[in-house]
Amino acid sequence: MNQTIYYKSKKVLVNTLVHIFLISVAITCLYPLLWMISSSLKTQDMIFKDISLIPHQFRLENYVLAWKGGGFGRNFLNSIIYTVSVVFGIVIVSSMAAYAFSRLRFVGSKFLFVMFMAAMMIPIPGSFVALYVLLNKLHLRNTPIGYILCMINVGLSTSIFMLKTFFDKMPKELEDAARIDGCSKIGIWWHVALPLSKSVLAVVVVFNALAVWNEYILALIIFDNRSFMPLQVALQSFQGEFVTNYPLLMAGLTITALPIILIYLLMQKYIIKGVTQGAVVG
Amino acid sequence: MLFKNLFLGTFILFSVLGCSGQKTSSKPTINIWHWMTDRDPAFQELAKKYEALTGVKVNFELYAPSDAYSQKIRAAAQGTNLPDIFGILGEKRDFASFIRAGHILDLTSYMEEDNSKWKNSFFAKALAVNEFSPQNSYGIESGIYGVPIDIMTIQMVYNKKLFSQLGLNPNRPPKTLKEFLAIGPKIQEAGLQGLVSGWGEVWMVDCLANNYAFNIMGKDKVLATIRGEVPYTDPDWIRVFTVFKEMKESGVLAQGLVTMINKSAEQLFANEKAVFAFNGSWCVNVYKGMNPDLEYGSMLPPAASDKYPMSIWGGAGSSFMVNARSKNKEEAVKFLAWLTGQDQQAYLAAETNNLPANKNSLSKIPEVLAQFARGMDYATHPNVWGVSEFSLVIEAFDRGIQSIIIGEKTPEQVAAEVQKVKERELAKRKAR
Repeated sequence: MNQTIYYKSKKVLVNTLVHIFLISVAITCLYPLLWMISSSLKTQDMIFKDISLIPHQFRLENYVLAWKGGGFGRNFLNSIIYTVSVVFGIVIVSSMAAYAFSRLRFVGSKFLFVMFMAAMMIPIPGSFVALYVLLNKLHLRNTPIGYILCMINVGLSTSIFMLKTFFDKMPKELEDAARIDGCSKIGIWWHVALPLSKSVLAVVVVFNALAVWNEYILALIIFDNRSFMPLQVALQSFQGEFVTNYPLLMAGLTITALPIILIYLLMQKYIIKGVTQGAVVG
Repeated sequence: MLFKNLFLGTFILFSVLGCSGQKTSSKPTINIWHWMTDRDPAFQELAKKYEALTGVKVNFELYAPSDAYSQKIRAAAQGTNLPDIFGILGEKRDFASFIRAGHILDLTSYMEEDNSKWKNSFFAKALAVNEFSPQNSYGIESGIYGVPIDIMTIQMVYNKKLFSQLGLNPNRPPKTLKEFLAIGPKIQEAGLQGLVSGWGEVWMVDCLANNYAFNIMGKDKVLATIRGEVPYTDPDWIRVFTVFKEMKESGVLAQGLVTMINKSAEQLFANEKAVFAFNGSWCVNVYKGMNPDLEYGSMLPPAASDKYPMSIWGGAGSSFMVNARSKNKEEAVKFLAWLTGQDQQAYLAAETNNLPANKNSLSKIPEVLAQFARGMDYATHPNVWGVSEFSLVIEAFDRGIQSIIIGEKTPEQVAAEVQKVKERELAKRKAR
């Protein structure tokens, strides 16, 4: 009897501690988001005077001002085009490359794979000037296509690594069956490998979409024309060297965060599965 | 079939995106890249006025934040894609490297036209930042290579309301270190914060310490120290370090000052929690945004000695340079001459709360800005000294002061450590 009470109390205590820990982690994650939304509804001086999360007056016009002042319309469209194009390019190239590295035997495959992995170690800002000079020579500087190609290149290494890890574990019998049914190598990649790797692809899509959506330094460097800039560059217009327009910046950030939160929510179930299947197991 | 459509779709998308970058215009256009977010609307307005006046289109492109802007300028210089007008953020040696690479036009002849009319319209110290003197240590041909758009000074500000609350005269800020230190116990008693500043970003500590060095030993001795002719263990330097010890002991410094970033310091001062702040003239705009009702005045750092005048850092806040390779360079120079004219500078000051570089434009600016501008009489800046201290010595110097403030080291210990680093660096230079 005493033992049962002991075990029950122990379970309650452990559960309480685990919940307290999880709640505190959740608060840590959610608080910045709530602060961002709250600040987007305040005036500049209220942000510094009033620390409560619920503003005394809701200034919804901050969203309109941010949209107009930051020139969000064109930049928003640009960001969507860049994100879709880059993620599409990465999914196609990285899945083909990962499948080739996993299944095809050719001279130098290991060396090439190591080279791709080594690219993961190079910090992106370190390659900016080199990329600029290269794009300039190719006459692709200040063009969306140049930016898209650079961003595809940036996302390839990690995506290939994740997909190759998954393809390595994929049963070979499935491919044999497809081959008997008359599938070519491309056919196997399209009809067998890609559908099976849906969950890993979801992770690749979300990770890369997030990276492209939030990128601004490369865009700022290679674009001279403001009409090509992505959304994140527009956000910087609220952030000065000494003065930052916090209400408009926070309104802009809220607008910017929405699409990416939406993508995450839509793909949530695949992401958890994908991370455990591809990235972690590898 | 699916693949065919997929690749065709991708090809069309890329082709459309690739082609959309080509635009042509027959109108002459001056392209300017800048990083000044707060000044962008005023620049755009001035560009419209200039186009209406001359028919020359001026295209101000904003690339913020300043770190990313610097990267863009460096990358563009590598690819020889710099715009007609741009700015260089960084130390004078960076400026010199751009001139050496042939990217920046020498503006001396333009400045000296009409009996130096353009040159004389500026505060001399604002121009000095963009000037290279004969036989400068950078090996650059002497001349003026940039146009100051505005100026800045770094001084102290004090809260007038809190001054009254402490029983002090709000119109008479402390002039001597002794008077300043005497306020410390009153601040402690009232439960307020004393001096706040971004001393976590160490350059601001360096700035105040240099102010006191100039005040205690004079410019010549400071520069002699940088040249390695006077050691940091000299009693005058120990006195400079001791000023910080005395400030700490009197309670006139705010809690956590050594790790404080300037944004937090500005917030504390704007929210009337701190009596003093050490900040640049840009703070006028910052405080206005944070607390429009804040009542404050600016003051020079209280003097520790009457032997030499108090000195503050100041000079050109932001400057523009003309691309020496630009086909529009003559037009670009004309535009800069117009932009720094009296009316345009007054407009910029009124719209952005920055101090005008044109000394004739001071008449219509708010009193607190005028106070900062008057500080230009005491201004100096490392960029105009002609000699630079070793980075490692600066680091040891600033970290040393932080150690004194937190009570870890004595002024004598810090002086000895800084001198040790200095000797090591001098020996390395000799070996090279």
